[in-house]
Amino acid sequence: MSEEKQQVSRRTFLNYTLTGLGGFMAAGMLVPMLRMAVDPVLQTSGGGDFTNVGLAVDDITTEPQRVDWKIDQVDGWYESEVSKSAWVFKNDKNEIVAFSPVCKHLGCVVSWEGNEDYPNEFFCPCHNGRYYKDGTNVPHTPPLAPLDEYDQKIENGMLFLGKVRTREEAKPREEA
Amino acid sequence: MKWNKENLKQYVQAKEYVDTIVLPLMPFHLSQNAELEKSAFQREVLSIFLTEIEQELTGRIMLTPDYNYLKSTDKTTEVERINAWIEEITTQPFEHIFLITFDSTWKKHEESLNGHLLWLPGIQSGDLHSKEMHTFIHGQVEQISELIQSYW
Repeated sequence: MSEEKQQVSRRTFLNYTLTGLGGFMAAGMLVPMLRMAVDPVLQTSGGGDFTNVGLAVDDITTEPQRVDWKIDQVDGWYESEVSKSAWVFKNDKNEIVAFSPVCKHLGCVVSWEGNEDYPNEFFCPCHNGRYYKDGTNVPHTPPLAPLDEYDQKIENGMLFLGKVRTREEAKPREEA
Repeated sequence: MKWNKENLKQYVQAKEYVDTIVLPLMPFHLSQNAELEKSAFQREVLSIFLTEIEQELTGRIMLTPDYNYLKSTDKTTEVERINAWIEEITTQPFEHIFLITFDSTWKKHEESLNGHLLWLPGIQSGDLHSKEMHTFIHGQVEQISELIQSYW
């Protein structure tokens, strides 16, 4: 046997192989864990897709108006067009507000001044649920929570609406 | 509410709030080539109507599965079957039953049906996805929903 071949002994060779293998296995386990740990960072911000609802910002007044639009939604087996709507207006602070019209009681569609007896309120025709203009549910009517609000952004003077958030979820965004 | 797992779970908990049934009457046939497209189209339109109405008033109405029948059928036997459906339905606390259809032949049998028949003059043809159709259906749905509300 030549001198060169004895430079790596059987013992060191096995050592190297085992350390290498162990290293690979550890890495295989650790990398997915690491990914999970930093996952929130990897996610795209913004919270979903925005759709142009066909309403110019200049046309938004203090009087709530209903906008309807359609989105493609893939829902398990079905890919379907889903119709969405919102009540859009400017509030006292001149901020644009887009409420989801879905009643928090059992999900009927509420309308602005839907009942003559209750001006300046959103009204649900199903069980006479009522909400003030700021979306807060009127006490002693069936709904137990304020109306949900859409995420919004403005591009080229048009209003884009995104995901629906409950009042609780929307709060931190307002304060930020 | 629709007759599916998720909605029914909600229904069972909120039974006292859901007092109205919407029961679609949908004809089917494969004979009469000339009529086929029209019938299928009306069925599509009606199901869009129903989805929209259900969405507007979801908390108080229950949309049942479609009642299918042969277009050429003898209506008096169908009336009996429909009334049997209604009988089953009214064992639950349902107060208002609406039968919705595009088929005008039901109008003659309205008296013997144990529910309110809403016959809508059908749309013969057109593009379901066009903007005009969208606005048209929307306007109609609003009126039907007002009509249903007037019974509450």
